[in-house]
Amino acid sequence: MKSDNNMMSGLKNLSERREIWVALVIVILLTYLLISRGVPIIMTIFIDFAVFAIITMSLNVEVGYSGVPQFGRVAAVIAGAFAVGAIPGRLLAMYMGLPFGLDYASDAINFKIVPQINELLASSFLLSVGFILFSIIIAALSGAAIGWLISRPAIRLKEAYLGISLLAFGDFLMWVGHNWSGLVGGSVPIYVPDPFRFFGGNRFTVIVMVIFVIAVLIYFYLQKVVHSPFGRSMRMIRDNDVSAAAAGIDVVKVRTQSLVIGSALAAVAGGLYVIYTGTCTAFGFQKLTWTFWPWAFMMLGGIGSNVGVLLGVFLLTILRTMIVIYRSQWFGFLMAVGIDPLWLEFTLLGAVIIGVILFMPHGLVPERIEPMLPGKNVKKIIDRRQ
Amino acid sequence: MAPWMASGLIYSSSLALLAGSITIINITTRTFNFAVASMATFGFYIAFTCVELYGGYPYQYYPLVALFGSFLGLVCYFGLNRHLLRRKAADITLMMSTLGYDLLLLSFIQMYVDYLSFTYRLFPRRVTMNIYDFELFGVRAAAIILPIVALAFLVTLHIFLTRTKFGIAMRATIENPVLAGASGINSDRVYMVAWIIGGGMASLGGAFMAMAITGTPVMGMYTIPLMFAGAILGGLNSLYGGMIGGFLIGVTEYAGVFYLSQRFGPWVQGYRMAIPLMLMAVTLLFFPRGLAGIPLGKVWRGLTGKKRGASL
Amino acid sequence: MLKINNLNSGYGKLQILFDLNIDVPEKGITVVVGPNGAGKTTLLCSIMGIAKVFSGDIIVEDKSLEGETTHNLAKQGISYVPQMGNVFAELSVMDNLQMAGYLTPKAEANEKAESMTEIFPVLKKFIKRKAGTLSGGERRMLAIAMGLMKKPKLMLLDELSTDLAPIIAEKVMMEVARLRDELGITILMVEQMAQRALEIGDTAYLLVSGEVRYAGKADDLLNEPQLCSMYLGIKPEEETIADVEKPPLKGSE
Repeated sequence: MKSDNNMMSGLKNLSERREIWVALVIVILLTYLLISRGVPIIMTIFIDFAVFAIITMSLNVEVGYSGVPQFGRVAAVIAGAFAVGAIPGRLLAMYMGLPFGLDYASDAINFKIVPQINELLASSFLLSVGFILFSIIIAALSGAAIGWLISRPAIRLKEAYLGISLLAFGDFLMWVGHNWSGLVGGSVPIYVPDPFRFFGGNRFTVIVMVIFVIAVLIYFYLQKVVHSPFGRSMRMIRDNDVSAAAAGIDVVKVRTQSLVIGSALAAVAGGLYVIYTGTCTAFGFQKLTWTFWPWAFMMLGGIGSNVGVLLGVFLLTILRTMIVIYRSQWFGFLMAVGIDPLWLEFTLLGAVIIGVILFMPHGLVPERIEPMLPGKNVKKIIDRRQ
Repeated sequence: MAPWMASGLIYSSSLALLAGSITIINITTRTFNFAVASMATFGFYIAFTCVELYGGYPYQYYPLVALFGSFLGLVCYFGLNRHLLRRKAADITLMMSTLGYDLLLLSFIQMYVDYLSFTYRLFPRRVTMNIYDFELFGVRAAAIILPIVALAFLVTLHIFLTRTKFGIAMRATIENPVLAGASGINSDRVYMVAWIIGGGMASLGGAFMAMAITGTPVMGMYTIPLMFAGAILGGLNSLYGGMIGGFLIGVTEYAGVFYLSQRFGPWVQGYRMAIPLMLMAVTLLFFPRGLAGIPLGKVWRGLTGKKRGASL
Repeated sequence: MLKINNLNSGYGKLQILFDLNIDVPEKGITVVVGPNGAGKTTLLCSIMGIAKVFSGDIIVEDKSLEGETTHNLAKQGISYVPQMGNVFAELSVMDNLQMAGYLTPKAEANEKAESMTEIFPVLKKFIKRKAGTLSGGERRMLAIAMGLMKKPKLMLLDELSTDLAPIIAEKVMMEVARLRDELGITILMVEQMAQRALEIGDTAYLLVSGEVRYAGKADDLLNEPQLCSMYLGIKPEEETIADVEKPPLKGSE
């Protein structure tokens, strides 16, 4: 027992150290960028981080905790994005007496309507806040619906088959959005009303803060979930669904719930994203960015560890941004032969995935095997029995 | 032959090769090779580059295309796959590793395409390979040549797998790797050959596909769900099944779009990918492990009256 | 011929064998018996590089087998006939034999295949049939034939008699004895049909829960009534069919 404790605390120290090192590297990079490039870059990094942190944490719920090969993450993001692109604006348009049917999304009309809506939003703090809350709720609901939809086949299909089906589903939703012009404009992007316009010049700052705070809240929420009985059920199912069922866990229900939660969260990120960019278009949601990058973030950070996920997102987001900023300085030799260094983003993505699989399969911050009860509780029980 | 039929034949032949590639790598190494996407795109760009720079028809460069594809396959095997197999990695890890490889290749393709545009003043971002074709009996030559090549591939592979010692050894390793090892068969070599064949088929399939649809750097990424659908439809236990499944998926898409758009209007065109995907979804609904449940071998033998034979 | 020193092995993280010491003398039959789950198959798999060796040595003719791949061991003349999955069900009998003769040059392999069909006429009858369509006994014949194709110096046999009708099992046992007597092959044999195996065997090991409980001459083990009845289900007083119709024991006639 005693040697076990020593080993546990030894291991704890080791993994804690890694988190700290990575966090240190992140802080150093951020400081460097702050000094050399100023605040706007840092803000961009923060908002990219916030959005993708939410998405990657949602992926972690499904992959890391429930063991679902979710290669269709983009589907839930799209669900939230389209919901926010299509509905809140239409409701306000209806209220204002403007076209709110299929016309709303047509390219001839949309760009005329949305500025008027924006004026209305800019005039009322309450309305703006209400718009934001409503968007989040409706995004979460559509995400939850998608999650529920996905859970039906997720029960029957296994591993790679499920992964491929989810991948295809994500693509399919993108095509629907691209072709059905009545939804979100089809191939022409539509504008999304901007509830942050109320803050005038500080718009960017406020939006970064809001989304960042939401990401943090979601982190704490998920930590609670993970340490709850539901979280334990998820992990039991991930490790061995037959044993879990034998232990009395309703495997189907738990899997469905985790898919619903994961998809709802991803959808919220999608909804926030279109509010931030002010536009919504199907082709803006490619699986490369919205499924594969989150996978890389999660794998680097450590599947099953939310802290690891956050570190992974931060680190890689900074690296991606740095490629963009320094592309002419570092990669001038590429540009000399006409090659755009931005493609290196994919090289980085592929290299990270391969590197993690080969050398660090558990990621930067491996999932800790946590005992069900804290050590001191166990001691108390043992003492009581004696 | 209507133009859509010609395109359909070409497209289906390409999917036959691509689904076959996925299948052969999967049944030997348990790996769902995501990198077929970029291997296919590479194949197309090799053909394109050669035709643009050296003239002639795409067909004459196909051996080079296949060779390059095999090379890409070998790199994946020795650099990545073999290591993971030795580590007894899970199927999903194997697939993810090929995803990483695919993204690496994709970045190289994009950079190569930039380089081509800049250095040679070409326009490789949207390519219609049709223009390099000639006419045969009143149709595009590709519509006749390519299905024949695909069929030749099928026949050659059949002969290889049933009549040659190494081919039989491959089937033995697929069925029972332990017994195969005890018989002295080097499984390492079997897997290597699987990647060589799979890689070659993938690149060749990509070169074929560019004759039917617009060639872009993301052509492979765009059609990868269909390639997987073909392999799954064919049931991941038989190379023939894979090739036939791929071909069927292609036919379903083209014929499906044609008839449905006649019936419901041209908007169906936008959802063309959904039709074969729906087929795959329905298949998986009733056979969660693909058509592996249906003993294709028995059906085939029943149809042709043959008595002997193994399932490949 | 084969020496195993302090072997600890298993699968993944599960240890099955604990500190095993086994000595297989040349040109003899060494029998390994024991109850289910004792680790008998794991022993053979450890030698063939299929199970994971945690520690210990496996030495054949003064050469250590550490780190060798399965197919290299086959190359070196060690033949393994598994209990399950002992033929390629999807391949024809002919193809099976061809695969078994994978390492021998074609002409010689064909010759050997011919002689196999002489020894086991049933194989000749089904030469083109898929091996999976053969009955249990026929499959085991094919498996033994496959094991012989390599001209092995050491044969590892895993429970050849399982699932066989007693008469056929008897025939198989006699074949194994013949392999030693006429071809001089060293045999390490895991058996469920303990009594008969011990009768034809020279050396014996009793394996229980991954450990050796008895090591010595096969005859001597048969004369340990306690061990026999506790682990091998042999009641020495009762007559068995084998007693009544016992073919000549080794060494006589």
